[in-house]
Amino acid sequence: MASVLGVAAQVNEAVARKIGAGLRAASQGPPDTLRLVVAPEELRSATEELLRLRARFLITVGIDARPLSADYRVLYLFSLDGEHLFVVLECAVSPDDPHVDSIAALVPGANWAERECRDAVGVTPDGHPDPRRLLLADDWPEGLFPLRRDFPYDYRPPAAEGVAPVPKQPPEGASVLPIGPFFPVLEEPSYWRLFVEGETVVGCDYRGFYNHRGIEKLGESTLTYNEIPYLAERICGICGFIHSTAYCQAVEKAAGIEVPRRARYIRSIMLELERVHSHLLWLGIAGHILGFDTVLMQTWRMREPVMWLAEEISGNRKTYGMNTIGGLRRDLPATVVAKVLKVVDEVERESVAVRDAIVGDTTLLARTKNVGVLTGDWARQVCVVGPPARGSGVPIDARLDHPYAAYDEVPPRLCTQQAGDTWARVLVRVEELLDSIRQVREGLARLPAGEVLAEVKDEIPRDRIGISVVEAPRGEAVHFVMTGGDNRPYRWRVRAPTYPNLQAMPAMIDHAAIADVPITLGSLDPCFSCTERVEAIDVSTHSRRVYSRQELLAMSRELTLRGGRR
Amino acid sequence: MLTAKLREALICFKAGRVTLPYPFAPHDPAPGFRGKITLDPDRCFGCGGCANVCPAGVIQVRDAGQLLRVLEFQWRRCTYCGRCEEVCPEQAITMSQQFETATDRGDDMVMRLEVFMGPCQRCGRCYVPPTPLDRMDRTGFRTGSGGRS
Ligand code: SF4
Ligand code: SF4
Repeated sequence: MASVLGVAAQVNEAVARKIGAGLRAASQGPPDTLRLVVAPEELRSATEELLRLRARFLITVGIDARPLSADYRVLYLFSLDGEHLFVVLECAVSPDDPHVDSIAALVPGANWAERECRDAVGVTPDGHPDPRRLLLADDWPEGLFPLRRDFPYDYRPPAAEGVAPVPKQPPEGASVLPIGPFFPVLEEPSYWRLFVEGETVVGCDYRGFYNHRGIEKLGESTLTYNEIPYLAERICGICGFIHSTAYCQAVEKAAGIEVPRRARYIRSIMLELERVHSHLLWLGIAGHILGFDTVLMQTWRMREPVMWLAEEISGNRKTYGMNTIGGLRRDLPATVVAKVLKVVDEVERESVAVRDAIVGDTTLLARTKNVGVLTGDWARQVCVVGPPARGSGVPIDARLDHPYAAYDEVPPRLCTQQAGDTWARVLVRVEELLDSIRQVREGLARLPAGEVLAEVKDEIPRDRIGISVVEAPRGEAVHFVMTGGDNRPYRWRVRAPTYPNLQAMPAMIDHAAIADVPITLGSLDPCFSCTERVEAIDVSTHSRRVYSRQELLAMSRELTLRGGRR
Repeated sequence: MLTAKLREALICFKAGRVTLPYPFAPHDPAPGFRGKITLDPDRCFGCGGCANVCPAGVIQVRDAGQLLRVLEFQWRRCTYCGRCEEVCPEQAITMSQQFETATDRGDDMVMRLEVFMGPCQRCGRCYVPPTPLDRMDRTGFRTGSGGRS
């Protein structure tokens, strides 16, 4: 702990040296969080300094603090991974003219975060390279900012007619191939316009957030601290436990609640079981995209016992409902331990068999090697997380960088690959799957006795912040909580791992074949939903052709049948 | 390549038939499964604790005059979290094992309970402290004051 404080002092000093009086205040909330209040005009210099110290940008949090201090606050969250420290750059923005300098030129990964902050809270990033709407629907009225405190959570704006997303202009001579608003690969709405020359992708444009549910607003306005975990759990349809864990940890950090050791172990075990079933699910879907349904059938068969196990432990196969502030609502019964071991033994044996089978499959290799390459450098710049980052040689893992639950005592092995292609991401996930099984075994062997819930008797104090990161199967999820009165957070911010990862997509499909787009997107394991139509518009003739999901899938699969020969 | 395909074939062959014959044969959930909530009307004394903690706003409490308290469960919204079961001081709510809850009639998903309340003649309240109600004072058992009415 002393070293973290030492590092924090050094960072504080470095920033002070760089921006002088522009650093208005510095404080340490939870021991692993350094909060620096900087003058808005010094934000860029402060960011530069943090980047020099190899900080990684996480997310922006816009807060309407008018009821507290008559201003808006924009918080830029960074992580110094090796030093286990979070650094927050905080700017107070006047409500008369809510503008702040964009840092997207320094940190390409801040692109969406700044647009989102503008859409939700109304603080405009000056000099942003792509200031189009991100979060809000196209028919949402101008000047209405849903995350402002005076905006009612149940307000419904009138419907508007004749609105459409603002499209990006394709490069000269390229045709546009729109895919969406429902993407044909995974079950979620997302609208891509591919700019193509013949079969080759030369650029793309993205419009998403069709499924925006206003979860943060609900948490801040109608739910209470202990009701939010059940909402958080429903953010993701596959790995919900990571969100309830991250949320609870953020509140526990802010309030200084000590979670019993046993509860921390059980959280770790459940998180790893979740990774096991999620990676198996992903492997199946990847196979399905490539027309290799054997993998889909078999991995999903192997996955099912893990789901049943989760049901037996928690009471539900997916929404475990175990997490609560201060620990867990359910203990792990001693009787279930033997079953867990039996199931993971079986999953391990079968996963190894599947791995050994697919590594020799030349068709599979042809479809994934050198496909969707993400360079380590670009991965860092766009702040990519999780298996896509590790597959590109970026050695980050929230479980090691900011140990939570029981990862300080049962750490994971860092699984990295250098190639950055789809095959590298397959290898990372398979390796992680096997490592998760090891962690479950080790966690169970070392499981301490005792309570699983710390009783929270006192009121949670106001105006404290807590940042918690959790390594989800898809990468690092970030939850930020600023506590409020009224038994609920003043601000709750969630950043799911797909958020940064999707921003890497344009670079990954640049100069790819159209048939490789589905697997490239699929290889990010994006968490967004599925598909019925794809339509192609040839810009020169304005002719329009509608591809069905089957056709797009067929294009991808046909390439597999040709043995990956292009 | 061929060995890879043979290995894959072997995995499939070994798996055999996996699909369960459900619904022709029952497939019971594991013990401890949180299914549809059941209510024991004789036990409920109308404290409203369940309504206070329900994250989905399933449970509404209305007072019809001084003597009657009406609890309405709109459990189509239920998230099966089991918080109501957990806080109920009288174990009036239990999570059953029932999961086959599909219906085409909205009414099937409403439960209504009328609790006859005996208020104190002097203050109009039902109980004086200490009562099981005090448990609701703890953080996390209380509801916020703003937002949902
Ligand atoms: S189980 Fe949860 S959501 Fe359902 S009624 Fe009880 S508290 Fe509400
Ligand atoms: S908590 Fe139990 S006793 Fe109180 S109102 Fe609900 S069901 Fe009735």
